[in-house]
Amino acid sequence: MELIKVVDLKKEYVNDEVVTPVLDGLSFEIKQGEFVAIMGPSGSGKSTLMHILGFLDRPSAGVYTFKGEPTVDFDDNRLALIRNKNVGFVFQSFFLMSKTTVLNNVMLPLVYNNEPDKEAKAKQAVAAVGLTHRLNHFSSQLSGGEKQRVAIARALVNNPDVIFADEPTGNLDSKSGQQIMEILERLNHEGKTIILVTHEQDTANHAARIIKVKDGLIVDDFKVTARRSAQDGELVK
Amino acid sequence: MINTIKIALISLKANKMRSFLTVLGIVIGITSVIIVFAAGEGLRGLVLAQVESWGSDFIQVEAKVPAASQASTENAIGQGSITTLKYDDAKQIAKQPNIKDIYSAVLGQAVVTTAQDSEVTQLWGTTDGFVRIDSGKVAEGRFFTQEEDNGLARVAVLGSEAKTKFFGDSDALGKNIKIGRHNFKVIGIMETKGAVLYMNMDAMIYLPLQSLQKLIMGINHLAFIVAKQKNPADADATAADIKALMAQLHNITDPDKEDFAVTTMVDAVENINQILGGVTLLLIAIAAVSLLVGGVGIMNIMLVSVTERTNEIGLRKAIGASPAKILAQFLWEAIFLTFLGGIIGIILGIGFSYLVSVAASSQGFDWAFSIKPMSLVLAVGVSVLIGLIFGYFPAKKAAKMDPIEALRYE
Ligand SMILES: Nc1ncnc2c1ncn2[C@@H]1O[C@H](COP(=O)(O)OP(=O)(O)O)[C@@H](O)[C@H]1O
Ligand SMILES: [Mg+2]
Repeated sequence: MELIKVVDLKKEYVNDEVVTPVLDGLSFEIKQGEFVAIMGPSGSGKSTLMHILGFLDRPSAGVYTFKGEPTVDFDDNRLALIRNKNVGFVFQSFFLMSKTTVLNNVMLPLVYNNEPDKEAKAKQAVAAVGLTHRLNHFSSQLSGGEKQRVAIARALVNNPDVIFADEPTGNLDSKSGQQIMEILERLNHEGKTIILVTHEQDTANHAARIIKVKDGLIVDDFKVTARRSAQDGELVK
Repeated sequence: MINTIKIALISLKANKMRSFLTVLGIVIGITSVIIVFAAGEGLRGLVLAQVESWGSDFIQVEAKVPAASQASTENAIGQGSITTLKYDDAKQIAKQPNIKDIYSAVLGQAVVTTAQDSEVTQLWGTTDGFVRIDSGKVAEGRFFTQEEDNGLARVAVLGSEAKTKFFGDSDALGKNIKIGRHNFKVIGIMETKGAVLYMNMDAMIYLPLQSLQKLIMGINHLAFIVAKQKNPADADATAADIKALMAQLHNITDPDKEDFAVTTMVDAVENINQILGGVTLLLIAIAAVSLLVGGVGIMNIMLVSVTERTNEIGLRKAIGASPAKILAQFLWEAIFLTFLGGIIGIILGIGFSYLVSVAASSQGFDWAFSIKPMSLVLAVGVSVLIGLIFGYFPAKKAAKMDPIEALRYE
């Protein structure tokens, strides 16, 4: 079964009776374990699409089915719950709590649910991005690349079905950016579904599949032949 | 809920300075609430103890400015110039059936001289009944008699401080003391009485009423008369009888022209309670205003904080905080701030109240340091309530934010 399925998805913003159409009817499916890059020029609606897929926003029209369930009737509390349990976000500008330790930053999603072993889970997530030695540092003491790794750990900590990364390398130098992409690739190889949003071809090339968006429409959707995602079979553990 | 409280605490800790400044208004408000309650209690205790020390079986008749209320400023200023209250009035009052004993009094001052010192001193002219009725006791020697008063005897009884001032440690009994132009003989020394509301009785020199009136002041009127009743239960009827008697003696038919006031101790306690109640109400109003200002301050700073932390709120929503959790987090923050402010205010308030009681006691006032548990409960309750009320609007604002707009905000 598809993890994500959208049919004729549309989004328009209405401000003071000015209607800005952003997404103009998109249809695609994403399976569990895929590593998909959504690519397109700036302003093409990539982030808007990601926000809808990540339950931060709602479509204006179309059907979004998540794990086989239509999402149209989800209320704010259901959306909050699904964001907490089923998805993780990595943003371009990290959004870490500055006067808070790495451990507490990573633990943050766990405080919004009642699951046990919060600290152990957070430590495990920090270990997965190789930052155990920074556990008790304040996030303000970290480099950009390290901050983004903390953000990835935070996205991972609830063991979500999918991680959304919106221009995760946009604020990083190329070396740190490369490291971040390698972590995402590794996570995908370990089975995690990753949906990456980027306008850079180099970054998109880390994904196994690229969906190109332009003027609110999908202009291309293809597999990157050199890459294999966990979904392709052999790499799933 | 425990988690939400933890989140709120962590956020507050991360912004210590702002958190502190935020609570300042509440601290001041709660401090004043505590002080008001403690001072109110202290003052009430002091005044009532004073009244009780006089006893409940007294009726006082004093000179009064006609048509002015007894407690008015007009009367306070003009009272001394009313010269119509006479010794004869006291003699007639003493004949009333419910009156057991009586004394009259007038206050004066003169230069008093001994070998040791020479100083203007307060003089308390009174009759022999004083020492039987008032709580003041003779420590050494004796008080003057009715005969000495009638005979304008030149005898004096010293308050304990006056004794020390004019004679030091040496014996005073039987010695001469010059009051004005006359030599008086010291026949007694009073026990130390401690400060009364506005007069230091210990620094006074007691003289026979008529000796003070005629030899020193050249007057023949009184300031007041104090009568002790046989049966205090009849105070109201007795007071009414005395009023009628006084009106008759002074030839007064129009109550607006009355140049005297008759007060029972029940009236006095009532008056005092009324005045203290008014003062307390006023102070509570002031405290309420400062708490209101503190509350608005909390709201203002919470609004600033919500705006500053828009990204944080967006992120919290993105990782799964429901609107209710965000609301709870900011409400808890506000409540913690005001609660903290309340606790600091209570500590400061208790501290200040203690200092006030120490200062008052060092001035000789019988000022009890007392903090009622009720006032602490009230202070904590009020501060938490303020957090809840004034924190709600900012918290609601945070809870309603759109996650994407909150994340985009710069
Ligand atoms: N709240 C909004 N109101 C109106 N227009 C918006 C809003 N959010 C985004 N847009 C517009 O939608 C378009 C797509 O934005 P976005 O999804 O952020 O693009 P991308 O991430 O591809 O750069 C842009 O033209 C942007 O200005
Ligand atoms: Mg974007």
